[in-house]
Formats: sequence, structure tokens, C-alpha cells
Amino acid sequence: MRRILGLPLKREQLWGLMFIAPWLAGFLIFYLVPMAASFLFSFMDFNLIQPENNRFVGLKNWVRALSEDPQVLASIGRILQYTLISLPISFGFSLVVAILLNNRLLLGTKLFRVLFYLPTMVPLVSTVLIWNGVLNEHVGWINLSIKHLTGLEVTGVDGIRWLANTRLIYISYTMIGLWGCGNTILIFLAGLQGIPTELYEAALIDGANGPRRLFAITIPMMTPVLFYNLITGIVGLMQYFLIPFVINQGSGFPNGMTNFPMVYFYRQSFSYFNMGYGAVIAWLIFALGLFFTLVLFGTSNRWVYYAGGKD
Amino acid sequence: MKKRTGIVLAAAATMIAALMSFSCAKSAPAAKKTQVRWFVGLGAGSDEPTFAPQKAVVDKFNASQNEIELVLEIVDNSQAYNTLATQISGGNAPDIVGPVGIRGRDSFKGTWLDLAPLVEKTKYDLTQFDNSMVEFYRDKNEGLVGLPFAIYPSFMYVNKELFAEAGIPLPPKKYGEQYVDENGKKWPWNYDTVKMLARKLSVDSKGRDSTEADFDSASMVQWGFGQQWGDARSWGTLFGPGSFTDASGKAQIPANWLAAWNWIYDGMWKDNFIPNGPYGSSDILGGGDWFASGKIAMDHSHLWYAGFAQIKFDWDIYPMPEWNGKTTAKMHADTFVITKQSKNPDAAFKVLSWLLGEGSSDLLKIYGGMPARKNLQEGFLSEFFATKFPAASIDASIVVDSIAYADNPNHEGWMPSFQETTTRYSDFWNVLTNEPSISVNAEADKLKADLEKIFAAAK
Repeated sequence: MRRILGLPLKREQLWGLMFIAPWLAGFLIFYLVPMAASFLFSFMDFNLIQPENNRFVGLKNWVRALSEDPQVLASIGRILQYTLISLPISFGFSLVVAILLNNRLLLGTKLFRVLFYLPTMVPLVSTVLIWNGVLNEHVGWINLSIKHLTGLEVTGVDGIRWLANTRLIYISYTMIGLWGCGNTILIFLAGLQGIPTELYEAALIDGANGPRRLFAITIPMMTPVLFYNLITGIVGLMQYFLIPFVINQGSGFPNGMTNFPMVYFYRQSFSYFNMGYGAVIAWLIFALGLFFTLVLFGTSNRWVYYAGGKD
Repeated sequence: MKKRTGIVLAAAATMIAALMSFSCAKSAPAAKKTQVRWFVGLGAGSDEPTFAPQKAVVDKFNASQNEIELVLEIVDNSQAYNTLATQISGGNAPDIVGPVGIRGRDSFKGTWLDLAPLVEKTKYDLTQFDNSMVEFYRDKNEGLVGLPFAIYPSFMYVNKELFAEAGIPLPPKKYGEQYVDENGKKWPWNYDTVKMLARKLSVDSKGRDSTEADFDSASMVQWGFGQQWGDARSWGTLFGPGSFTDASGKAQIPANWLAAWNWIYDGMWKDNFIPNGPYGSSDILGGGDWFASGKIAMDHSHLWYAGFAQIKFDWDIYPMPEWNGKTTAKMHADTFVITKQSKNPDAAFKVLSWLLGEGSSDLLKIYGGMPARKNLQEGFLSEFFATKFPAASIDASIVVDSIAYADNPNHEGWMPSFQETTTRYSDFWNVLTNEPSISVNAEADKLKADLEKIFAAAK
């Protein structure tokens, strides 16, 4: 029996490996080898346009990044600040929309689902360019609408400077980010639809009101989905790049507020061609993402509820 | 099962062998030719409409001889810098790069081959160019890194309809002439006069111009003066040539540039006749294509702009104004260069000579450049404007006259740590164009301090 069972199992393993071989090859060639190479580059003075001058410099790049170049730690501070503002807003917004879309009493549910997902289909660069116009302090329709509706002088340099005011810039970027929340909403919606209705029926019989059902059933049952979205959200924010790059070409305007780690990494690696130093910044971004992921996994036992058991 | 697997494997092997032999057979004749790779993307030539005409030029060259196979590689301008850097890093650089401007060339300083030995070896005739243009490409450390191909003088593009609407006479038509206003009074054609006119031509949504007390700068719909797609160096050059590097290689802020920046800053934020950053990037001004938007009366730009601009109103070109008695019309120039990594520099130089010679008449039409070769200049401009803008009557003599006022040193010239320095001064310019209440002098001091650090680190 063991011999008979053993043979097909081995063959299955081989077939399994064959099926995932394309992915494995892709992972090795496009992820693992470049990662190893970038780690090696981080110990080199490696400039793309002067390959003849490339040389090993030991820990020089790491020392520069961690103790000599104030831009690196400042950029990390900025992304943490932005994360604290952006993540709760985008999470709260996505969850509220998903709950609304899951409500049986909502008319035209399917239409609303399509409408909320539709912006995700627009290429992000186009979205950012559109928002750049919408938030323009002189001719953007948000300021013009406020002006026409309230009569307040909100256009121009004395008005609401969405993309130039250091106090507003993170709120503006978060607003742009909300436009692309369709995927998160969709995942939340799938999570909500996976909650057994018996739980709500039992709660109704027990006399639980809406908020009680939300905090006692919906949110606990949604914690695995929240956990997943939190990890992908944080890792995504550590790599935050496209919006500041499209709007300001990565200049950090206003007052360096949008010079995030990924933007600084791009400048060093692909504007100045300092691939060695850029590799250090890339690894610091990776370490930051890894740290938050480990913290979330380490604490997940305390707040993530798996109805079917963790395994 | 085993038999079937064997058949499948045999069939696959046969197909691979057949494909390999087909590919070898196909490439066999090409192997006799020396392959020369031509990289396009650092300057003009990466816009889709130019692809087919450039390919036609390549086909023409390949058909003209049997020794060299010219291979065209077009990379989009936004990706070209990184692509070329990666190729250089991998030891796989192309043989020829171009057309490339001064900025693109100096972004890869140290990469280009000194052409002087090849010029001497092939007895290439340099007298067909203006000597100053040849010297333009001679670097004291790197030798002759390019040969003149196309030049793009700059001048003032003027929207005649906006002048007519405001009842203001047009600028003078020749360098050295004075401006005559609506009352017949004469004014020197300088930046004070430009400001005077530009303020009258800058209008808000209620039709008030910027000289009026109740003018609303928050609802502007028209501007008097601007410079198309300029950066800190090109805007500074309105008031004369300069460089961030002094003779000893240290950082400096040229006094004329500082004066220009202050004039421009006031023009954007105080006197409201130059578009500031938010206005300049908005749809109202064509998302950056200011002149074609029809909302700017006087716009400084180069000849290359006329190569692709879609201008749908009555316009003409006029001389640049003077500052402190000196007129400057900054110059752009394109060339072709050969990389040091080229495996076949002799063949590459043959191609280069052809591109600058027989091929140049086709290429200049594609890129909209004025020929650097003296014998081709005559007649080029009138044909160029007549073809591109048959309905307009453009006075092409201004283009030729502007050459005499080219900036030297050129505003796009080399600086230590070229890309990092460019990033730093671009940040400076970003602040000036977006912040309404800063001190330009204080920002310039900060810029100088940072440039000193960047230059010191580059040594």
C-alpha cells in the first residue's frame, strides 16, 4: 500500500514542480538574482555610466545612508507621517463603502459597485494628471466649486493651495489615493459577503442593534481581510512613488514634504546613476516593510479571528 | 506513453533545429556587413511621427553601400537616459547616439569618442561648418566630441491677435530697432519695455489688465510674456549668458541670472504678467504648451518649437530684447556622437559623415533643425516655414539674425555632477514658480551653498 501510494505521490510532486517551474524561473531570474545583486551593489561605488570606475567600498554607502545623509532618515520619517494620515482614511473609507454596498436596502447596488470600482480601471498616471488639474489652486474645479457655492475667495495664492501647502499636501495625496480604493473595497466586500447570515439572524433575535452587530460580528469576522489589506497597504505605502513623481517630478515640493524614500531612491539610482547608494536605500525600504509585516504577523494572534481555525 | 513522449520530443527537437537553421540562414548575408547601431532618444526623434521617416533614412543608407548595416534603435525620451546608461554599464553601448543636444551630451560626459583622429584620418572637411560651431563641440579634456548638425536659434514668438485686440503696436521687426508705442513714442527694446507691454496684455476674467488697481490675479485668462518649457538656467539667460561653474570650477550664481530671476519672480507673483507654476501647468495654458494655447502674447522659444507646434492664430517672430545694453538669444544645437565603447569606430564615423552629409537634408526636415552646414542654410528657413505654416507669413530673417546673439557659455553646458546639480537647481526653480512669498536672493544663496557641496563631492 505504501509503495503503491508512494509512487503516484512522487510523480505528483514532479508534476507540481513542472507546473510552477515558469513561476520559479521568473522568481529566480527577476527577483532573487536581482535582489542578491543589489545587495552586492550596496557595497560598491557603482555608477551606470562609468562602469570602468566601479569598485568595492565596503560599508561606506551604508554609513552614508544611516549617519551622514539626512535625506534618508528624513524621507523615512515623512513616509511614516504620511502613512499615519493616509492609511486610516483610506481604510475607513473603503470599509464604510463596502458596508454600504453590502447593504440589502441599497438600491442599484450593482451599479454602485461598478461605479466605485471603475476608477481603478483608469491608469494611475492618467488619474494623477487629472487630479493635478482638479486640485489646481487657480483653475481646479474643487476651488472653483467652493468659490461659487460659498462665495469665499479660495482660488489663487491666498486660497486653498492643495498641492503647495505643507499642511494640506498629505490630505491632497490621500484624496488622490482614494480614487484607487476599488480593489480594497472589492476585497472588503468579498469578506463581508463571506460572513454567515445566521450570525446576524441570531444577533437580531438577541436584540443586538446595528452598531452592536457591526462591532460584535462584522469587524471581528472581517479581521483576516483587514489583516491582509493592512499588510498590502503598508508595503504599498513604503513603495509610495507614482503620485509625487508625476505631480512634481520627484522634486519633493512643497518644502521637501513629498521626498519619500522611494522617490529619493529613484533620484539616486536613476537620475544620478548612483546604483550602489540607491541599492542601500532600496534595502532600507525593504527592511522597513519587513519590520511592519513582522510586527503585524507577531500581533495577529491577538486581534485576527479565523473562524475556521488558523491552519 | 513512452513512445508518444519520444515522438513529441523528437518533433520538438526537429522544429528547434529547423528554426535555428532558418535563423542562421537568414542572418548569414548580414554577417558580412559591419553592424553600426544608431541610438535615438536623447533629443529629437523619439516622437511617433518621426519613426517612419528615420527608418527611411536608414534604408537609404543601407541601400547606398554594401559594407555597413545601419541599425536604428529608437527609445522614448523619458526612458532613453536610463536605457543608454544601462547599455553603457553592460558594455553594450550603441555606436552612434543622436541627435543629441548639449544637455543630453553632457549627461554622459566621458562616454564619447574624440573624433579628431578620425577627422584627420579621413580628411573630413570641417570648413563646411562655421568655425565657432566646430569649436562649440571641442572639449579641452575630451577633444572633439561631436560635429555640428543642426542649430536651433531662439527668438520671440508673438501672438499678433492679442496685440491687435489690446490695440498695442507689435514689437520691432529687426535687432537694434526701437519699440514705437501707440502714441508714436519710442522705447528701447529691452526687458523694461517688455514688462510694460506684457502688463497691458495680461488680463483677468473680467477683462481688466494687470496695470489696473482692481485686477484679479486669481482669475487670469491671458498673460503678456513667458518662456516655453524653461528652467532656471534658460530663464536666467534672458539677461545674458552664465554658468553655475566659475573658471576655477567652484559654484557661482551669475549676477545677471539673479537679476533675471528676480525680474521673473516679480513678473509671476507681483506684476502678474508671467504665468506662475500652477497656471503654467494648467489646461488654460495648454498644460505647458503656452504659445499654442493662444493665451500668451510674447513667448520666448527655439526654432524646434515651430517644428511641431500647432498654432491656430495669426503669429510671427520678433527679436529678443536687451538687458543692460546686451542682447542674448540662447542657442540649442544638436549633434551626433560616437561612443568610446563602439566596436567599429571607423564604420561609425562613415555613417556619421553620411548622416551629416547626404542624409542631413532628410533628417533636418524630420527634426525641424536649421542646417549647421553653411551651404544648406540658404533657402532652408523659407521652405521650412512655408511648408509648416502655409497660412502664416513668418519673417525668417529673425532666425538667422538671432544666431549672432547666441549665449556663450551655453546655458545647457556642463556642470560637475550634472544630474544631481540639475535636480538641485530644478528644485530651486520649482520653489520660485510655486511659492508666492519667498526671497529670491535667499533661495539663490541656499542654491549656491548646496551646489558648492555637490561640486566638492564630485571632485
